[in-house]
Amino acid sequence: MAQVNFKMTWKMWFLAVCLVASIFAINPLGYFQHGVLVKYVPENSLSSQSGLTKGEIITAMNDLPISSMADYSDALGKIFLNVHKQNITLITNKAAYDYSAYNLGIEVDDNLGITFIPTELNYLNITLNETVESINSQTISNISEFNAIRDQLDQKIKLTIITNKGTRILFASYPEFTVSEVPKTRLKAGLDLAGGAKALVQPERKLTQSELADLITVSKERLNVYGISDIAIRAASDLSGNTYMIVEVAGASPAELQDLIGKQGKFEAKIGEDSVFVGGKDDIKSVCRNDASCSGIQECQQSQGGYYCNFQFVIYLSPEAAQKQGEVTGKLDINMTSNGERILSKPLDLYLDDQLVDSLQIDASLKGKTDATSISIRGPGTGTTQQEAFNNAKANMLKLQTVLITGSLPFKLQIVKLDSISPLLGKEFVNNILLAALGAGLAVALIIFIRYRRLVYSLPILFTVGAEILIILGVSAAINWNLDLVSIAGILAAIGTGVDNQIVIIDESRNKKVSHTLKEKIKRAFFIIFGSFSTAFVAMIPLWWAGAGMVRGFAVTTIIGICIGVFITRPAFSDFIGQVSDEHN
Amino acid sequence: MENSGEHPTQHPTHHVQHEQKYEANAEKGNFYDRHHLIFLLIPVIMLIGALAYIIVFYQATGDIMHKDVTLTGGTSLSIFSDNISTTALEAALKTDFPDVVIRSLNDVQTGKQIAVSIETASGPDLLRPAVEKVIGYQLNEQDSSMEFTGNSLSNSFYNELLKAMLLAFLFMSVVIFILFRSPLPSLYVILCAFADIVIPLAIVDYFGIRISTAGIAAFLMLIGYSVDTDILLTTVVLKRRDEETLNKRIHSAMKTGLTMTLTALATVLIAFSLSLAPTLKQIFLILAIGLVTDIIVTWGMNASLLKWYCDRKGFK
Repeated sequence: MAQVNFKMTWKMWFLAVCLVASIFAINPLGYFQHGVLVKYVPENSLSSQSGLTKGEIITAMNDLPISSMADYSDALGKIFLNVHKQNITLITNKAAYDYSAYNLGIEVDDNLGITFIPTELNYLNITLNETVESINSQTISNISEFNAIRDQLDQKIKLTIITNKGTRILFASYPEFTVSEVPKTRLKAGLDLAGGAKALVQPERKLTQSELADLITVSKERLNVYGISDIAIRAASDLSGNTYMIVEVAGASPAELQDLIGKQGKFEAKIGEDSVFVGGKDDIKSVCRNDASCSGIQECQQSQGGYYCNFQFVIYLSPEAAQKQGEVTGKLDINMTSNGERILSKPLDLYLDDQLVDSLQIDASLKGKTDATSISIRGPGTGTTQQEAFNNAKANMLKLQTVLITGSLPFKLQIVKLDSISPLLGKEFVNNILLAALGAGLAVALIIFIRYRRLVYSLPILFTVGAEILIILGVSAAINWNLDLVSIAGILAAIGTGVDNQIVIIDESRNKKVSHTLKEKIKRAFFIIFGSFSTAFVAMIPLWWAGAGMVRGFAVTTIIGICIGVFITRPAFSDFIGQVSDEHN
Repeated sequence: MENSGEHPTQHPTHHVQHEQKYEANAEKGNFYDRHHLIFLLIPVIMLIGALAYIIVFYQATGDIMHKDVTLTGGTSLSIFSDNISTTALEAALKTDFPDVVIRSLNDVQTGKQIAVSIETASGPDLLRPAVEKVIGYQLNEQDSSMEFTGNSLSNSFYNELLKAMLLAFLFMSVVIFILFRSPLPSLYVILCAFADIVIPLAIVDYFGIRISTAGIAAFLMLIGYSVDTDILLTTVVLKRRDEETLNKRIHSAMKTGLTMTLTALATVLIAFSLSLAPTLKQIFLILAIGLVTDIIVTWGMNASLLKWYCDRKGFK
């Protein structure tokens, strides 16, 4: 191979600068960052009180170094080796209760009267003020004996967590926070490569820009209140003017999305035909949540073929809503039930999305009262086992609380597309794409070599292809673009046109039959290149809107790719080829 | 040539050289001059045949292509597992879901099954429990993927994407006219781009390939790729008349153009055989068919039409 002395022209320097900038944008420092990333810390938990926050990177726990998720799982196994659920038999003056848990859970006052029952134990129907008589066959006669047994049973382990922000200490029997791998680069993988749930939601009619923005805000709030934090919602429209909302959630199930977004969540309480209050902050001042004294699972019973549990929680009406309620109840008559209770002639009917979900008898004493603000809401949960019914009731309660807090979504919605992608499958796809790219690259190099028989042409083409891919990825990272499968296809399209154009440049520069200067030859090559650039560019534009932008990723990466090609890589390449040709001639 | 006839005494040596070269070229030129219409015939027959096929297809099915669930509406369920028998699954599901299509996604290096994909027009609420019954366990978000598109949405996707294709074709045509400014050569390019889409469409229809949203994107890519070679050919032929003979210009453009298309074709064929994701596989397949078509159409039809145009206009 002939020795090629080439000097760097300004176009090549520009390419080099872009390459370095792209590497910074992609920020592969994640490869060097050891540890696990804290993804979620529940509010008002022991974890949050210790100072642990989302986004910190854990590097060690109880003197065990942690550099990956595997290390983290191992560490958990070692630390909580002896922590397990234990059987507890609690005998009070009323009944005997058997349960299995990490801790005793209940709390008592100095007279051993029960003052607190954790929500997980609500299904046992323990009532407040029952007195504790014995725990696990040990008689309890005073508070110090109770405390002794409680400390024995409570398996709280001291966790010393070292993060990149400091040291956190907390006592727990299991970690309440969740972690994930530290992202290796700033490249964001789309849902079909990373896994997650995606819904395309269509409102009942075409919305204006501001209406769509409102809808997105309320939907985000609803998902946040429910407890889902990793959300991306954006507006979309298609060529026919239809408006959509695209909701992407990593880690939620499609069923949850369906319940939370697919339904408008219009809650209304009526007495007869009169509306008394609706969901949302105007009528409902507050909703009792996570407070055992006013919300929880009340009782579980066996029924045909399974179990059902009832949940109950209290809501507090605003003064205006309470006033309205008083006005309506004032007009009702008083009836007598078969049990001798005095109730009003009409019940309080609760409707969710125009379907009756509950009907509450109103005590006669509330007739005409305009300051009765607390209302108790009930509902069921079912399952084949008691635990399943319990969990189902808990989930239903959470959803109903969410709807009452955030109010109804401003428009009726319909989920027209629902996708859930497994992260395992996505990972396979990523590996596969890299393999295919490698194979294709080798093929290109081989063909170029066969055609021109000079490495001095093959190698620069390979280099340019690599450079284009790197810069496209850099731009994607910088604009936070989600790389999905169609985006990857777009990158390939751009690379393909790029190689084509480089072949044109090589052939033009080698054209001995023409007496133009090298500069002029390159200029003529660029006429062809610019022609192909323009046609590809305009062909991609309609894809931005078509089909609610579902294949938009394709258009975006193609356009980025061909622009990078025409303005950055091909000028540098033509300078290089020019120098090679000069030497050759 | 005219010079050497008029002034033989002034440039004797050059005259002889010119004449020898002229005779040699005339031999070559005559072959192409006489037979270039055959090169035109093959792509024209293909184009007419493709159009006829698509018309018949439209009358039989009401549409211009077979569509998969992303364009007709329905569910696509992928299970991440290495030991599900596709034949057993198909037999079990066929009665309730007569339109079900089941595929096995295998690792390209080992041939081992990585996942199984199930497609049907029915909704996920019906498909999922039926599949779970057959495989004997419950599916969750870790080990399975599910995509559901409602009927009306997929219809609107389909119409949108067709509209996008028409628009893209239109914009591309405008750009071509601006580039070359001569109406007839521009028209030839547009006609060839049209053939480069219609012929592959007829081919995929013939083989019963079901097009997805990604497949339509592939046809859009074809517009870009196929037009490249036509632009190259037209530029060299029209704008460089002062350099060499027409046939030589066509010949040199062909050398460059074939390198371009063969490189792209090799890339796409390798990507097709190595790819796992059905989305990508379909894109590469359509591109491969389109590129092969492009070779025949550009160097058969476009070249012959341009030659005809130049001969009539007296361009040499």
